[in-house]
Amino acid sequence: MAYLDVGHGPPLVCVHGSLCDFRIWSCVLGPLSKRHRVIAVSLRHFFPEQWNGIGDTYSIAQHVDDVIAFIERLGPKFGLGPVDLMGHSRGGHISFRLAQRRPDLVAKLILAEPGGELDATLDPAFKPGPSPLAARIAASAEIIARGDIDGGLALFMDSLEGPGAWKRIPAASKQLLRDNATTLIGQMRDKRPPFSKADACSIKVPTLFIGGANTKGALPQVLRGLAAHVPDSRVEMIPGTTHPMFEQAPQRYCEIVLDFLASR
Amino acid sequence: MQTLRVNGYDMAYLEVGTGHPLVCVHGTLGDFRTWYAVIGPLSKKHRVIAVSLRHFFPEHWDGTGDGYRMAQHVADMIAFIEQIEPRPIDLPIDLMGHSRGAHVAFRVAQQRPDLLRRLVLAEPGGNLDASLASTPSASIARGTTAIADLIKAGNIDDGLRRFVDSIDGDGAWAHLPAAAKQQLRDNAITMVGQVHEGREPYSKADAEQIRTPTLFIGGGDTKGNLAENHRALAPHVAGSRTAMIANASHWMFDQAPQEYSELVSRFLGG
Repeated sequence: MAYLDVGHGPPLVCVHGSLCDFRIWSCVLGPLSKRHRVIAVSLRHFFPEQWNGIGDTYSIAQHVDDVIAFIERLGPKFGLGPVDLMGHSRGGHISFRLAQRRPDLVAKLILAEPGGELDATLDPAFKPGPSPLAARIAASAEIIARGDIDGGLALFMDSLEGPGAWKRIPAASKQLLRDNATTLIGQMRDKRPPFSKADACSIKVPTLFIGGANTKGALPQVLRGLAAHVPDSRVEMIPGTTHPMFEQAPQRYCEIVLDFLASR
Repeated sequence: MQTLRVNGYDMAYLEVGTGHPLVCVHGTLGDFRTWYAVIGPLSKKHRVIAVSLRHFFPEHWDGTGDGYRMAQHVADMIAFIEQIEPRPIDLPIDLMGHSRGAHVAFRVAQQRPDLLRRLVLAEPGGNLDASLASTPSASIARGTTAIADLIKAGNIDDGLRRFVDSIDGDGAWAHLPAAAKQQLRDNAITMVGQVHEGREPYSKADAEQIRTPTLFIGGGDTKGNLAENHRALAPHVAGSRTAMIANASHWMFDQAPQEYSELVSRFLGG
């Protein structure tokens, strides 16, 4: 498992979301690495691996197992106990599940708009079955598997954020998505269980939820639903930002994170 | 990060991919992250090694001392390349630089052609002397001093605005995405060093000394001396080629990562 390791201080392990990799944290590395040893991982099958999309090793469960093993390996090396853990989007889901299973490994938890669904205990309107996102992922993945990377990514981004979304993404950001396009094929087999109230109540570590004040759709609902039941939690919404809030307001994002991590 | 000890300094680098080593040198206010948009395509065929020069991020430099010199950065790159395994004596490496980093790469090629297989210079930075330009280009150092003064006084964003606008036109800084701005902030203090970096202008004799097969890359929309330098140097670098990327300017690899990577890969024969 590849990772970028920058700075000195208490370790902060960062887990990227869908279609991203260790590079997504690029714009917060500077401020965060002044006080922390920032360890940005690339989950299995994401860049720098050049994956062909074949096999059953892309799933939430696999990625949670991998990050647990990763932190366990770090432990003795640092001579330290638990680490701070930060995840964005699907990486927030993974970080949540990790903290649920292995609170002994986590000092503090930061969840930046964790991805997922709320089950009936958190959302009365919940209907079991495949998420609305699943069909879009499948359609996009099929195009990518045929070799039309840009076509698949365009369909995916436009269905998430509206027509023309892919076209508006800057060229450099598009390329990072292309570098991870085949992971969408794996994502069809993600097997992401919905969050329950019992899940949220079981998080024992101090938790910070960060959201973009302008994010639309399910993500803010999931954030609020979880935050209401995670016992030791706080919520910070960053004005003027959406889902990639740390890229849109890196200085504010880092202030919030550093402040939370400093209050030990 | 991984580091190599060069001239008493732990130089950080990011290494991705397998194949022939391609060492990448960022420019002013950049660092190893400068190359993020092209390491995906390039690392499919090459072992991409993106360095951070002395005093750039991930170092959090305080701006003191005299380690920020063109000559120091060139010496550091030479020491770095000498340590790449397998030893360069058996395997000359490919070297790519952007802007000021292309100036560094150019000087490495001048001093140590034995270390290099191929050279890629993306809009090399610097000035042309009288042997290359009828009217020697305005010293870039003057702008640097004003920017450094702003940064030293704590007006970091004002200094950076001046730098970015001087390259990409008025309003360029304002249009830069917040993430790109932050990476420039992370290196703002290096402008304080750059005032006294001692960068010599290019001469015709310098260009004629380059023996390494060289590709110049330019952005079709770039203005000013960054557009002039490669046009002036290329006719005097024996056997060199020039590739222009349309609708792109100084950060052409961010603006056209696929085209840029294809040009580089084709030239390197990866």
